Amino acid sequence: MMSVPVVETRGLIKRYGDQLAVAGVDLLVGPGEIFGLVGPNGAGKTTTMKILATLLAPTSGEAYVTGIPVDADPIEVRRRIGYMPDFYGVYDDLRVWEYLDFFGRCYGVPSNRRAPMIGELLEIVGLGDRRDAYVESLSRGMRQRLCLAHTLVHDPALLILDEPASGLDPRARVEMREILRELRSMGKTILVSSHILPELAELCTGVAIIDHGRVLRSGSITDIERSLRANALLRIELIANEAAIAAASDWLATDPRVGDVLRHDGGSGDTARLEVPFDGSADAQAELLRSMIDAGHRVVGFSQATSDLEEIFLRVTGQSDEENAA
Amino acid sequence: MTASGTTFGSVRRSALREFGSAVWTIMVKELRARMRGRRAFIVLTLYLAVLALITYGVYVVVGPAARAAADQQGGFGLAQANASRLVGQYIFTVLSIFQMIMVAMIAPAFTAGQISLEREKQTLDLLISTPMRPGAIVIGKLLTALAFVILMIVAAIPITAIVLMYGGASVDDIIRQQVLLLAVAVGVGAIGLFSSALMRRTQAATVLTYCIVLALTLGTAMVFAFWTEVAQQNQAGFVQEPEQAPEQLRYLNPMVGMLDIVSRVEVDGPTRFTSSLYELFGRDLASTPVSFACDGIGCEGFGGFDQPMPVPVDAFGQAGRTDYWWPRVAISFLIVAAVLTLASMRLVVPAGMRWALRRGGARRMAAASLGAPMIEELPETER
Repeated sequence: MMSVPVVETRGLIKRYGDQLAVAGVDLLVGPGEIFGLVGPNGAGKTTTMKILATLLAPTSGEAYVTGIPVDADPIEVRRRIGYMPDFYGVYDDLRVWEYLDFFGRCYGVPSNRRAPMIGELLEIVGLGDRRDAYVESLSRGMRQRLCLAHTLVHDPALLILDEPASGLDPRARVEMREILRELRSMGKTILVSSHILPELAELCTGVAIIDHGRVLRSGSITDIERSLRANALLRIELIANEAAIAAASDWLATDPRVGDVLRHDGGSGDTARLEVPFDGSADAQAELLRSMIDAGHRVVGFSQATSDLEEIFLRVTGQSDEENAA
Repeated sequence: MTASGTTFGSVRRSALREFGSAVWTIMVKELRARMRGRRAFIVLTLYLAVLALITYGVYVVVGPAARAAADQQGGFGLAQANASRLVGQYIFTVLSIFQMIMVAMIAPAFTAGQISLEREKQTLDLLISTPMRPGAIVIGKLLTALAFVILMIVAAIPITAIVLMYGGASVDDIIRQQVLLLAVAVGVGAIGLFSSALMRRTQAATVLTYCIVLALTLGTAMVFAFWTEVAQQNQAGFVQEPEQAPEQLRYLNPMVGMLDIVSRVEVDGPTRFTSSLYELFGRDLASTPVSFACDGIGCEGFGGFDQPMPVPVDAFGQAGRTDYWWPRVAISFLIVAAVLTLASMRLVVPAGMRWALRRGGARRMAAASLGAPMIEELPETER
């Protein structure tokens, strides 16, 4: 039973007209994991989550929650997930306990279990003293926590939380993080998205970095960081001369630290560019440049490019600095 | 969770129970929000006060004239009974038509926001991502919205029942009136719910609903009248039955139904109050009073001793076809309600998931009927 992954997607594709929102996402989340989907706005995180929450049908590909295909048996999937959308409203005219009672009924929680369950959940999300308040009177952070509580009423196997900390002030954000940590200690499996990486870094057992509907890299955050630091993408510009370029490519390929060399024609006709994945420190890069010139290659430019992944990584980490400062 | 679902029948029963409890869930939530505080109480009280006032007004206006006529005819026995009956008829007629107008106007107001408001407030996704069937959500919403309208209709029975004291209208008439009012409330409510599911915005849904209601009442009446007029002109010169527009045009006209019920009560033919309505919705709906012999004491006014019981006359001038229109109207509205509720269910489900919802249900049923363990029977995740 433990071997069944809680979330599994294979080649998930969602197309809106001719726009690809999700372009072949593969995810694998095991029981008890806190898995982060990280990427800029519009990367396809929300769409992926909506597919898993059975609110959207995938164009193609497969998605399973606890082994149940989402498009074939959505009702069963819904019993096993708690979903918190990125934008949502609450029923203002209900009291806090009525709100949770309503969702408890929605998920078929028997009446004798509902009352104690509501008390427990309100304690977990820190709204114990707000039981009889109207939802209307809650602050944004409190509503967010109430919404989180509603995802827990039926004790689901999986929580799908879409940007649970968005729009919250720093303090409310810390509170939200504390709650997620508590849920982790309770052994919940959580799929959480964010466009801010540090928010998730210490919490997640694994992340997938998504952009333009594709998973660029997934794994633990430290692994991703290490691989980014180790792997530089060098951009080497040479005088445009077919023979010279071919010779340079061949010469580069003999170095074991160099990956597949890509040729990039463009810009002015005078120069041509090679993109060279290189596994080495700055020292090693300088060494490579010197030996290249020694070997007689006519190098015009030599620089380190940022890869898509790294760019996004910088963006998602950079943004957090701005937002934390604000 | 029901665990013992190994035969088809019990699965069916448990699915039904699940559906019912989902409907109830929606109703409890909606009623909590809606009936809280004094608002609902005050609205209902005001409505009944208006009905009572109308009843009293009719009595004040019609009473003296009826009494005068009775005195003219001797002031005893049947003459007095006739005067009393007349007051009863007037009260029943005015109350019935007023209530029909109110139901046609109020029921959509309660339902036209039910689903579009959930969309506008972004609560629909939360609701749909629960395992409740969309059908249960839609029906729960419809029933809650109608609960108050139904309360208004039923709460007016005691006021309407005053006519039983005067005579002129019987318990049967009140039952007819109630059945029609309830059917129209359900039908018009479903129209509101459907536009609410169809339209993104509540405003648009409300406008659409009232346009449909207007089209059904005034629209069909005018088309019917015009069509009949043209048909009869084409017939000119021939010795034939006058042609009429297809009567189905009237099946969804709540006023036609109510005038049909009212005309049964108006045994003396249209009154001041209803004659203009018959002009609008069809003269043929009115009962034609059977002429009676005047015996010299006076046959003007409100009828004499020896007035024979008039025979109700139906749309085509044939005697004896009673209860013709209103049952058709009531049934048509119930059919419309069923069809539109089904359509609303489909509109609520996210596109692309519609097939899956049914397939999933069918598969679980099949699995259960084969005696295979249902997915629900798998152990719940530990708390």
